[in-house]
Amino acid sequence: MNLVDNILYDMLYHSTPILLAVLGGLFAHKANVLNIGLEGMMLTGAFSSALVVMLTGSLWLGLVISVLLTLVLGLVFSFLSVTLKSNFIITGFGINLFAAALSAFVLKFMKLANINVSSVVDVASLKIHIPLLADIPILGSILSGHTAITYAGYILIIAAGIVLYHTKFGVYVRVVGENEEAAKSVGINANAVKYAAVLIGAALCALAGMELSVERLALFTNNMTAGRGFIAIAAIYCGRGEPLKCALYALLFGLAKSLAINLALFAGPISGLFEIVPYLTIVVVLFMVSVIQNRNNNVRGFKLE
Amino acid sequence: MKRNRFMAAVSAAVTVIMLMSLLFTGCSSKPKDPGVALITSAAGANDKGYNESAIKGLEKAKQEFGIDYKVVESTDIPGSLTQLAEAGYKVIFSLEYNFDALIKGVGGNKPIAQQFPDTTFVIFNDNPNVNQDGTVINKNVISVLFDVHEASFMAGALSTLVNENAKTLFSAQDYNFTQGDAGRKIGFIGGTKSNGITVFSYGFAEGINYEAEKMNVKYTYYSDYNAGFTDSAAGSTKANTYYQDGANIVYAVAGSVGDGVDSKAKEVKKLSIEVDANKDNNQPGYVLTSVLKNTEVPVYEIIKHYKNNTLDGVKGKALNYNLASGATGITDLSVIESKIAPEGKAKWNEIKNELDSISKKIASGEIKVTNAQAGEAFDKTKLKNLSMPND
Repeated sequence: MNLVDNILYDMLYHSTPILLAVLGGLFAHKANVLNIGLEGMMLTGAFSSALVVMLTGSLWLGLVISVLLTLVLGLVFSFLSVTLKSNFIITGFGINLFAAALSAFVLKFMKLANINVSSVVDVASLKIHIPLLADIPILGSILSGHTAITYAGYILIIAAGIVLYHTKFGVYVRVVGENEEAAKSVGINANAVKYAAVLIGAALCALAGMELSVERLALFTNNMTAGRGFIAIAAIYCGRGEPLKCALYALLFGLAKSLAINLALFAGPISGLFEIVPYLTIVVVLFMVSVIQNRNNNVRGFKLE
Repeated sequence: MKRNRFMAAVSAAVTVIMLMSLLFTGCSSKPKDPGVALITSAAGANDKGYNESAIKGLEKAKQEFGIDYKVVESTDIPGSLTQLAEAGYKVIFSLEYNFDALIKGVGGNKPIAQQFPDTTFVIFNDNPNVNQDGTVINKNVISVLFDVHEASFMAGALSTLVNENAKTLFSAQDYNFTQGDAGRKIGFIGGTKSNGITVFSYGFAEGINYEAEKMNVKYTYYSDYNAGFTDSAAGSTKANTYYQDGANIVYAVAGSVGDGVDSKAKEVKKLSIEVDANKDNNQPGYVLTSVLKNTEVPVYEIIKHYKNNTLDGVKGKALNYNLASGATGITDLSVIESKIAPEGKAKWNEIKNELDSISKKIASGEIKVTNAQAGEAFDKTKLKNLSMPND
C-alpha cells in the first residue's frame, strides 16, 4: 500500500465509529434532545461486546448483547431527561462517567488489565475483501478491505436519510424537534418519539463501540473511545443534523486523524504537531459553519433562527 | 401529599442507614502496627505489570516476615499519603508519578515527608529528593530507579539480531516480514515526551545501533512520543504506518496503547515489544519480548530493611536497580522461542549468547548506555548506523 492508499484506508477506519455515532445522534438532535452521552454509550458498546465475546466466544452474541445493554443505558438517559425532564448535559455527562467507571470496575473485579479476545477473533479475517473493487487504484482502499460494521455504517447513511425524510416516523421526529407543542396538539406522543430517537442513537453507538474494540483490534482497553463521541457531536452540529452532511463531516474528521497519523512519519522532529490537526480541524470547521449559517440568517437586520 | 410522605420516609431511611454505617466504622478496632502501605499508579492493581509485581513483593514479604500490608488505589496521591501516614503506616510506597506535595509541599503546606518524619516514603522512577546542589531534601524518602535504559538496549540489540536473521529463525508462513533494506526499520511509540519515556527510546536506539554497526548495516528509527496512554485504536494505526513502511518490529512504551500495537502486530504478522511486565503472552508469538520493570524486587528489599531495622542505611538515598539486580531486563524469551523454526535453533542460540555477552559488557561498564532519566544528554549523531528522522 502506498501513502495515499494508507491515508484513505485509515480515514475510513477512523471515521466509522464517529459516523455511526453521528447517524445515531442526529435523530436525537432532530428531536431536540441533546444527547451528550454518545461517548459513554459507545464505550459501553465497546466494553460489553468485548466482554461477551470473551465469555461466550460468539461474535453474534457479542453484537446482540452489547446493543441490548446500550439500549438499557439509552432508556436510563431518556427516562431521566425526557420523562423526568432533568438537564440533558448533566444526565449525558453522568452516562459518560458511569460507562467509564463501570467498565474500569468490571475489569478490576475480574482482575484483568484489558479484554483481549484475539484468541477468539482473528482481526485480519474480519476484513471483507471485495474481489473486483479491490483492484481499482486509490478507490480500492476505500471500497475494499473493511469490516462488516464499516460497510453497514455507510449503508446506514442512506437509511437514515430515508427514515428521516420519507417516513412518518421521520416527520414526527422533526416536528417534535421543531415545535413540540404543535406536535402534541395534533396528537403525537412527543415523549415516545424522543425515546425512540435516543434509543436509535444508543443502538448505533453500540455498533460503533463494537467496531472499535472487537472488529478492529480484538481488544478492549479502558477509555478506548478517547473522545470520539464528542467529535460526533461536533459533526452533528456542523452538519445541522442532516445525514449526508453530518456523514461528510464525520469523514472529514476521520481524514484529519488519518493525515495526522500517516504524515507524522515524514514530518521529522515536528511530527508531534500533527497531533493537533484533528482538533484544529474541528475548531476551524465549527467556526466556519457557524459564520456561514449566521450570514444566511440575517434578513434585513433581523436574525431568524 | 402522599408523594411527600413517601419521600420523607425514603430520606429518613437513607439517613438511618448512613448513621449506622458511621457507627460501624467507629467500632472497627485499630491494630497497633498496621504494617506497610502501597498506593498504586493510575493503571491499578491488576495491570499485570508495574503495580501487580509490587503487590507480589508485598505478599512475599508478608509470607516471610508476617508484615501486613494495605493497597490503596487513589486519584488523590497527596491526600492518600497523608491519610496513610496518619493511620500509622511506617513505610509507604507510592507508585504514581506525583512527588511535589511529598517532597516540596504544595499550597503553602509543609512537605508531607516533613509532616511525618517517622514515616518512610518510597517513590519510583525519579529522584526529585535532591536540591540543586545535590544535597538530600528529606531524610525519610527513598527513591527507586530502574536502569531501564540498559534493558531497552538489550531489546534494541535483540531487535536488530532478529530482524537480520528473520528468514532463518522463523518459518515463512507464520510471519510476513519485509525483507532486505526496506525492512531495516524499527519503530518506537511513546506515550509522552518526558525523560521517563525517552530513557526507553534512547537505550533502545543505542542497542539497535550497536548490533547494526557490528553487522555493518544501516537502520532507520521511527519514533513518536505523542501516542498518549489510552487511545489503543489510534496507537494501532500509528504502528500500522510503521509496519506498512517496512518496519518489522515496533516497541511501545505507552500504557494500554501498547496493547493496540500488539494486536496490530498479530494482524500484520510482524513483531512488537512490550514494557513494564512480562506481556509476551499478550499476543503469543507476536510479542518479541518485554522490557521488565520488576517492582517486586525493591519493594521486597525495602520491607526487609524495615523488618531488620536497617532502613536508616537506605533512607534519603536513590536506589538504582540495574540489569544485574534482576529488577530490570528483558524476558526469558520462552514465548517467542516456541515459534523458532527447527532450522533456526542454532542461530537462535547464537543470538542468546550474544545477548548474554552484551549484558555482561553492560555490567562491566564496557558498554555505556545513555540514561535520559538521570539527565544524561543523548547525541543521535553518534549513532553511525542508525538514522532517527523523527527525533
